[in-house]
Amino acid sequence: MTLAHPDRHAMLLSALPYHGPLFGATQTPLSRIRLNQRLSLLEPDEARDLSEARRLLEWAQQEPGGTDAQIVRQARRILAGIEHPFIQDLVTWRLELRTLVAALRHRHRGESTPRDRHWGHGRWVGHLMRHWNEPSFALERAFPWLPQAERHLRDGAAGELERLLLGVVWERLERLSDGHYLDFEAVVIYVLRWDLIARWTTYEGRAALARFDTLVEQALTGYEGIQMHPNSDQSGPA
Amino acid sequence: MNEFVVALGWAGLFAPMALGAIGSVIGCAVAGQAAIGAMVDTDSGYGRYIGVSVMPSSQVIYGIVIMFSLQREVTPESAPALFGIGLLSGLALLVSAMRQGQACASAIHASKTKPEIFGLSLAPAAIVEGFAVFAFVFALVLAGGIPG
Repeated sequence: MTLAHPDRHAMLLSALPYHGPLFGATQTPLSRIRLNQRLSLLEPDEARDLSEARRLLEWAQQEPGGTDAQIVRQARRILAGIEHPFIQDLVTWRLELRTLVAALRHRHRGESTPRDRHWGHGRWVGHLMRHWNEPSFALERAFPWLPQAERHLRDGAAGELERLLLGVVWERLERLSDGHYLDFEAVVIYVLRWDLIARWTTYEGRAALARFDTLVEQALTGYEGIQMHPNSDQSGPA
Repeated sequence: MNEFVVALGWAGLFAPMALGAIGSVIGCAVAGQAAIGAMVDTDSGYGRYIGVSVMPSSQVIYGIVIMFSLQREVTPESAPALFGIGLLSGLALLVSAMRQGQACASAIHASKTKPEIFGLSLAPAAIVEGFAVFAFVFALVLAGGIPG
Protein backbone atom coordinates (compact mmCIF):
# COMPACT_ATOMS: atom_id res chain seq x y z
CA MET A 1 0.00 0.00 0.00
CA THR A 2 1.40 3.41 -0.93
CA LEU A 3 0.85 6.75 0.77
CA ALA A 4 -1.71 9.14 -0.68
CA HIS A 5 -0.15 12.12 -2.50
CA PRO A 6 -0.90 14.83 0.11
CA ASP A 7 0.60 12.71 2.89
CA ARG A 8 3.66 11.97 0.81
CA HIS A 9 4.22 15.66 0.03
CA ALA A 10 3.66 16.70 3.65
CA MET A 11 6.23 14.16 4.78
CA LEU A 12 8.72 15.11 2.09
CA LEU A 13 8.44 18.85 2.74
CA SER A 14 8.84 18.36 6.48
CA ALA A 15 11.97 16.32 5.83
CA LEU A 16 13.54 19.19 3.88
CA PRO A 17 15.39 21.81 5.96
CA TYR A 18 14.53 25.48 5.60
CA HIS A 19 16.73 27.18 3.02
CA GLY A 20 16.66 30.81 4.21
CA PRO A 21 17.26 33.78 1.89
CA LEU A 22 19.22 33.23 -1.32
CA PHE A 23 21.93 35.83 -0.94
CA GLY A 24 22.62 35.08 2.72
CA ALA A 25 23.27 31.41 2.04
CA THR A 26 26.80 30.08 2.41
CA GLN A 27 25.89 26.50 1.52
CA THR A 28 22.90 24.49 0.38
CA PRO A 29 20.50 23.50 3.19
CA LEU A 30 21.25 19.83 2.48
CA SER A 31 23.58 18.02 0.13
CA ARG A 32 22.58 17.03 -3.40
CA ILE A 33 22.78 13.35 -2.45
CA ARG A 34 20.43 13.81 0.51
CA LEU A 35 18.06 15.93 -1.55
CA ASN A 36 17.85 13.24 -4.22
CA GLN A 37 17.36 10.58 -1.53
CA ARG A 38 14.41 12.47 -0.11
CA LEU A 39 12.95 13.20 -3.53
CA SER A 40 12.61 9.45 -3.98
CA LEU A 41 9.36 9.83 -2.02
CA LEU A 42 7.78 11.43 -5.10
CA GLU A 43 5.59 9.45 -7.48
CA PRO A 44 7.49 8.30 -10.61
CA ASP A 45 5.63 10.71 -12.91
CA GLU A 46 6.25 13.64 -10.54
CA ALA A 47 9.93 12.73 -10.17
CA ARG A 48 10.31 12.46 -13.95
CA ASP A 49 8.72 15.87 -14.59
CA LEU A 50 10.84 17.53 -11.91
CA SER A 51 14.01 15.91 -13.18
CA GLU A 52 13.25 16.99 -16.77
CA ALA A 53 12.64 20.56 -15.58
CA ARG A 54 15.97 20.59 -13.73
CA ARG A 55 17.70 19.13 -16.79
CA LEU A 56 16.47 22.12 -18.74
CA LEU A 57 17.11 24.77 -16.13
CA GLU A 58 20.42 23.76 -14.56
CA TRP A 59 23.32 25.12 -16.56
CA ALA A 60 25.52 22.28 -15.37
CA GLN A 61 23.27 19.84 -17.20
CA GLN A 62 23.36 21.72 -20.50
CA GLU A 63 25.38 20.28 -23.34
CA PRO A 64 27.96 22.84 -24.39
CA GLY A 65 28.57 23.84 -27.97
CA GLY A 66 25.05 23.69 -29.41
CA THR A 67 23.61 26.47 -31.54
CA ASP A 68 20.66 28.55 -30.29
CA ALA A 69 18.33 26.71 -32.65
CA GLN A 70 19.50 23.29 -31.43
CA ILE A 71 19.14 24.29 -27.78
CA VAL A 72 15.67 25.73 -28.38
CA ARG A 73 14.60 22.61 -30.27
CA GLN A 74 15.81 20.35 -27.48
CA ALA A 75 14.16 22.55 -24.85
CA ARG A 76 10.84 22.36 -26.69
CA ARG A 77 11.11 18.59 -26.92
CA ILE A 78 11.77 18.25 -23.20
CA LEU A 79 9.04 20.78 -22.38
CA ALA A 80 6.51 18.81 -24.44
CA GLY A 81 7.31 15.72 -22.36
CA ILE A 82 6.54 17.48 -19.06
CA GLU A 83 2.98 16.69 -18.05
CA HIS A 84 2.50 18.68 -14.85
CA PRO A 85 1.01 22.09 -15.81
CA PHE A 86 2.65 23.95 -12.90
CA ILE A 87 6.12 22.77 -13.91
CA GLN A 88 5.37 23.44 -17.57
CA ASP A 89 4.37 27.05 -16.81
CA LEU A 90 7.38 27.59 -14.58
CA VAL A 91 9.86 26.19 -17.10
CA THR A 92 8.27 28.21 -19.90
CA TRP A 93 8.65 31.36 -17.80
CA ARG A 94 12.33 30.57 -17.13
CA LEU A 95 12.95 29.93 -20.83
CA GLU A 96 11.27 33.22 -21.71
CA LEU A 97 13.50 34.98 -19.20
CA ARG A 98 16.55 33.36 -20.79
CA THR A 99 15.30 34.46 -24.20
CA LEU A 100 15.17 38.05 -22.93
CA VAL A 101 18.69 37.84 -21.54
CA ALA A 102 19.92 36.17 -24.73
CA ALA A 103 18.41 39.05 -26.74
CA LEU A 104 20.20 41.54 -24.48
CA ARG A 105 23.51 39.73 -24.99
CA HIS A 106 23.07 39.43 -28.77
CA ARG A 107 22.29 43.11 -29.05
CA HIS A 108 25.15 44.03 -26.74
CA ARG A 109 27.50 42.21 -29.10
CA GLY A 110 26.20 44.46 -31.88
CA GLU A 111 24.27 41.73 -33.67
CA SER A 112 21.29 42.73 -35.79
CA THR A 113 17.73 41.42 -35.50
CA PRO A 114 17.68 37.60 -35.82
CA ARG A 115 16.31 36.47 -39.18
CA ASP A 116 14.20 33.57 -37.91
CA ARG A 117 12.37 32.81 -34.69
CA HIS A 118 14.43 29.78 -33.66
CA TRP A 119 16.87 31.68 -31.45
CA GLY A 120 14.48 31.91 -28.46
CA HIS A 121 11.39 30.45 -26.85
CA GLY A 122 8.06 31.82 -25.72
CA ARG A 123 5.65 34.61 -26.38
CA TRP A 124 8.19 37.44 -26.47
CA VAL A 125 10.29 36.24 -29.42
CA GLY A 126 8.24 38.11 -32.03
CA HIS A 127 8.04 41.22 -29.85
CA LEU A 128 11.80 41.23 -29.29
CA MET A 129 12.43 40.99 -33.02
CA ARG A 130 10.02 43.84 -33.76
CA HIS A 131 11.49 46.11 -31.07
CA TRP A 132 15.12 45.02 -31.41
CA ASN A 133 16.51 48.54 -31.51
CA GLU A 134 14.40 50.07 -28.74
CA PRO A 135 15.73 50.50 -25.19
CA SER A 136 14.85 47.38 -23.14
CA PHE A 137 12.93 46.14 -26.18
CA ALA A 138 9.99 48.31 -25.02
CA LEU A 139 9.39 45.73 -22.28
CA GLU A 140 10.40 47.69 -19.19
CA ARG A 141 6.78 47.78 -17.97
CA ALA A 142 6.44 44.01 -18.14
CA PHE A 143 9.98 43.41 -16.85
CA PRO A 144 11.07 46.31 -14.62
CA TRP A 145 14.49 44.70 -14.11
CA LEU A 146 15.39 44.83 -17.84
CA PRO A 147 16.90 48.37 -17.87
CA GLN A 148 19.10 47.48 -14.91
CA ALA A 149 20.19 44.24 -16.58
CA GLU A 150 21.03 46.23 -19.69
CA ARG A 151 23.12 48.64 -17.60
CA HIS A 152 25.03 45.80 -15.92
CA LEU A 153 25.71 44.25 -19.32
CA ARG A 154 26.94 47.56 -20.72
CA ASP A 155 29.21 48.08 -17.69
CA GLY A 156 30.56 44.54 -17.92
CA ALA A 157 29.30 43.83 -14.38
CA ALA A 158 28.72 40.11 -14.94
CA GLY A 159 28.46 39.34 -11.23
CA GLU A 160 25.86 42.03 -10.65
CA LEU A 161 23.87 40.85 -13.66
CA GLU A 162 23.87 37.28 -12.39
CA ARG A 163 22.81 38.46 -8.95
CA LEU A 164 19.97 40.46 -10.47
CA LEU A 165 18.72 37.55 -12.57
CA LEU A 166 18.92 35.07 -9.70
CA GLY A 167 17.00 37.58 -7.58
CA VAL A 168 14.29 37.87 -10.25
CA VAL A 169 13.85 34.09 -10.37
CA TRP A 170 13.90 33.84 -6.56
CA GLU A 171 11.17 36.49 -6.26
CA ARG A 172 9.06 34.72 -8.85
CA LEU A 173 9.33 31.48 -6.89
CA GLU A 174 8.47 33.41 -3.72
CA ARG A 175 5.27 34.71 -5.34
CA LEU A 176 4.36 31.28 -6.68
CA SER A 177 4.81 29.71 -3.26
CA ASP A 178 1.75 31.58 -1.95
CA GLY A 179 -1.01 29.05 -1.45
CA HIS A 180 1.30 26.05 -1.88
CA TYR A 181 2.35 24.63 1.46
CA LEU A 182 2.14 20.87 1.52
CA ASP A 183 1.65 19.94 -2.11
CA PHE A 184 3.76 18.91 -5.08
CA GLU A 185 4.06 22.51 -6.26
CA ALA A 186 5.71 23.39 -2.93
CA VAL A 187 8.22 20.57 -3.52
CA VAL A 188 8.98 21.89 -7.02
CA ILE A 189 9.51 25.41 -5.67
CA TYR A 190 11.80 24.09 -2.93
CA VAL A 191 13.93 22.11 -5.36
CA LEU A 192 14.27 24.98 -7.83
CA ARG A 193 15.27 27.26 -4.95
CA TRP A 194 17.79 24.66 -3.85
CA ASP A 195 19.23 24.78 -7.38
CA LEU A 196 19.51 28.59 -7.20
CA ILE A 197 21.26 28.42 -3.81
CA ALA A 198 23.60 25.73 -5.15
CA ARG A 199 24.48 27.98 -8.07
CA TRP A 200 24.96 31.08 -5.96
CA THR A 201 27.06 29.35 -3.30
CA THR A 202 29.22 27.81 -6.03
CA TYR A 203 29.98 31.29 -7.29
CA GLU A 204 30.88 32.30 -3.76
CA GLY A 205 33.11 29.24 -3.55
CA ARG A 206 34.93 30.32 -6.66
CA ALA A 207 35.36 33.81 -5.22
CA ALA A 208 36.69 32.27 -2.01
CA LEU A 209 39.11 30.14 -4.04
CA ALA A 210 40.31 33.20 -5.97
CA ARG A 211 40.75 35.08 -2.70
CA PHE A 212 42.64 32.11 -1.24
CA ASP A 213 44.94 32.02 -4.28
CA THR A 214 45.62 35.75 -3.94
CA LEU A 215 46.44 35.36 -0.26
CA VAL A 216 48.76 32.42 -0.99
CA GLU A 217 50.50 34.47 -3.67
CA GLN A 218 50.90 37.39 -1.30
CA ALA A 219 52.24 35.11 1.41
CA LEU A 220 54.67 33.44 -0.99
CA THR A 221 55.85 36.83 -2.24
CA GLY A 222 56.45 37.88 1.34
CA TYR A 223 58.28 34.60 2.02
CA GLU A 224 60.46 35.11 -1.05
CA GLY A 225 61.22 38.62 0.19
CA ILE A 226 62.36 37.17 3.51
CA GLN A 227 64.46 34.54 1.70
CA MET A 228 66.15 37.23 -0.38
CA HIS A 229 67.10 39.17 2.78
CA PRO A 230 67.62 36.40 5.33
CA ASN A 231 69.31 38.66 7.87
CA SER A 232 67.10 41.62 7.35
CA ASP A 233 65.78 41.43 10.92
CA GLN A 234 69.33 41.46 12.28
CA SER A 235 70.55 44.30 10.10
CA GLY A 236 69.64 47.06 12.50
CA PRO A 237 72.19 49.35 14.10
CA ALA A 238 74.77 47.52 16.13
CA MET B 1 -42.09 5.72 2.89
CA ASN B 2 -41.87 5.40 6.67
CA GLU B 3 -39.19 2.75 6.29
CA PHE B 4 -37.10 5.11 4.18
CA VAL B 5 -37.45 7.90 6.73
CA VAL B 6 -36.46 5.52 9.51
CA ALA B 7 -33.45 4.39 7.46
CA LEU B 8 -32.39 8.04 7.11
CA GLY B 9 -32.79 8.38 10.86
CA TRP B 10 -30.38 5.50 11.46
CA ALA B 11 -27.93 7.02 8.96
CA GLY B 12 -28.13 10.33 10.81
CA LEU B 13 -27.58 8.57 14.11
CA PHE B 14 -24.32 7.00 12.96
CA ALA B 15 -23.16 9.88 10.71
CA PRO B 16 -21.36 12.01 13.35
CA MET B 17 -19.30 9.06 14.50
CA ALA B 18 -18.52 7.74 10.98
CA LEU B 19 -17.80 11.10 9.37
CA GLY B 20 -15.81 12.25 12.40
CA ALA B 21 -13.74 9.06 12.18
CA ILE B 22 -13.08 9.55 8.46
CA GLY B 23 -12.01 13.16 9.08
CA SER B 24 -9.74 12.13 11.95
CA VAL B 25 -8.15 9.41 9.83
CA ILE B 26 -7.33 11.87 7.05
CA GLY B 27 -6.24 14.69 9.37
CA CYS B 28 -4.03 12.50 11.55
CA ALA B 29 -2.49 10.87 8.49
CA VAL B 30 -1.47 14.19 6.91
CA ALA B 31 -0.14 15.63 10.18
CA GLY B 32 1.47 12.30 11.08
CA GLN B 33 3.38 12.11 7.81
CA ALA B 34 4.58 15.69 8.35
CA ALA B 35 5.74 14.67 11.84
CA ILE B 36 7.68 11.73 10.41
CA GLY B 37 9.29 14.02 7.84
CA ALA B 38 10.25 16.49 10.58
CA MET B 39 11.81 13.67 12.61
CA VAL B 40 13.99 12.79 9.63
CA ASP B 41 15.31 16.34 9.50
CA THR B 42 15.77 17.06 13.22
CA ASP B 43 17.55 15.54 16.19
CA SER B 44 15.07 16.38 18.95
CA GLY B 45 11.46 17.33 19.69
CA TYR B 46 10.03 14.10 18.28
CA GLY B 47 7.37 13.78 20.96
CA ARG B 48 6.18 17.30 20.28
CA TYR B 49 5.67 16.57 16.59
CA ILE B 50 3.76 13.37 17.28
CA GLY B 51 1.68 15.17 19.93
CA VAL B 52 0.61 17.82 17.43
CA SER B 53 -0.12 15.25 14.76
CA VAL B 54 -2.84 13.56 16.86
CA MET B 55 -4.81 16.80 17.36
CA PRO B 56 -7.36 15.87 14.64
CA SER B 57 -8.39 12.78 16.61
CA SER B 58 -10.69 14.87 18.83
CA GLN B 59 -13.35 15.01 16.10
CA VAL B 60 -14.05 11.30 16.30
CA ILE B 61 -14.56 11.68 20.07
CA TYR B 62 -17.04 14.52 19.50
CA GLY B 63 -18.76 12.28 16.93
CA ILE B 64 -19.10 9.44 19.42
CA VAL B 65 -20.59 11.77 22.06
CA ILE B 66 -23.06 13.27 19.55
CA MET B 67 -24.05 9.77 18.45
CA PHE B 68 -24.85 8.77 22.04
CA SER B 69 -26.75 12.00 22.65
CA LEU B 70 -28.87 11.30 19.56
CA GLN B 71 -29.42 7.68 20.48
CA ARG B 72 -33.10 6.92 21.02
CA GLU B 73 -35.87 4.94 19.39
CA VAL B 74 -35.81 5.75 15.67
CA THR B 75 -39.40 6.51 14.65
CA PRO B 76 -40.87 8.40 11.67
CA GLU B 77 -41.27 11.37 14.06
CA SER B 78 -37.67 11.44 15.34
CA ALA B 79 -35.86 10.25 12.17
CA PRO B 80 -35.84 13.57 10.24
CA ALA B 81 -34.28 15.39 13.19
CA LEU B 82 -31.72 12.63 13.73
CA PHE B 83 -30.82 12.73 10.06
CA GLY B 84 -30.48 16.52 9.89
CA ILE B 85 -28.49 17.03 13.08
CA GLY B 86 -26.42 13.87 12.69
CA LEU B 87 -25.45 14.38 9.05
CA LEU B 88 -24.65 18.08 9.28
CA SER B 89 -22.68 17.81 12.51
CA GLY B 90 -20.82 14.86 11.00
CA LEU B 91 -19.92 16.85 7.90
CA ALA B 92 -18.68 19.72 10.07
CA LEU B 93 -16.49 17.29 12.03
CA LEU B 94 -15.21 15.66 8.84
CA VAL B 95 -14.09 18.91 7.22
CA SER B 96 -12.69 20.36 10.44
CA ALA B 97 -10.55 17.25 11.05
CA MET B 98 -9.19 17.29 7.50
CA ARG B 99 -8.31 20.95 7.58
CA GLN B 100 -6.94 20.73 11.08
CA GLY B 101 -4.60 17.99 9.88
CA GLN B 102 -3.22 20.37 7.26
CA ALA B 103 -2.89 23.16 9.82
CA CYS B 104 -1.01 20.79 12.13
CA ALA B 105 1.27 19.67 9.31
CA SER B 106 2.12 23.31 8.57
CA ALA B 107 2.71 23.96 12.29
CA ILE B 108 5.10 21.00 12.46
CA HIS B 109 6.87 22.17 9.32
CA ALA B 110 7.25 25.73 10.61
CA SER B 111 8.21 24.92 14.21
CA LYS B 112 10.86 22.47 12.98
CA THR B 113 12.75 25.44 11.53
CA LYS B 114 11.85 27.94 14.25
CA PRO B 115 11.14 26.08 17.51
CA GLU B 116 10.33 29.39 19.26
CA ILE B 117 7.09 29.75 17.25
CA PHE B 118 5.82 26.30 18.21
CA GLY B 119 2.98 27.60 20.42
CA LEU B 120 1.91 30.33 18.04
CA SER B 121 2.00 28.03 15.03
CA LEU B 122 -0.69 25.91 16.68
CA ALA B 123 -3.16 28.83 16.78
CA PRO B 124 -4.78 28.05 13.38
CA ALA B 125 -5.27 24.41 14.37
CA ALA B 126 -6.77 25.54 17.69
CA ILE B 127 -9.19 27.90 15.92
CA VAL B 128 -10.32 25.07 13.64
CA GLU B 129 -10.82 22.96 16.77
CA GLY B 130 -13.00 25.75 18.15
CA PHE B 131 -15.35 25.51 15.16
CA ALA B 132 -15.59 21.74 15.62
CA VAL B 133 -16.53 22.38 19.27
CA PHE B 134 -19.30 24.77 18.12
CA ALA B 135 -20.77 22.03 15.91
CA PHE B 136 -20.43 19.54 18.76
CA VAL B 137 -22.02 21.69 21.48
CA PHE B 138 -24.97 22.87 19.41
CA ALA B 139 -25.63 19.34 18.16
CA LEU B 140 -25.91 18.32 21.83
CA VAL B 141 -28.22 21.25 22.58
CA LEU B 142 -30.51 20.44 19.65
CA ALA B 143 -30.46 16.72 20.43
CA GLY B 144 -32.31 17.53 23.66
CA GLY B 145 -35.33 18.75 21.65
CA ILE B 146 -35.79 15.71 19.44
CA PRO B 147 -39.03 13.82 20.17
CA GLY B 148 -38.83 10.27 21.48
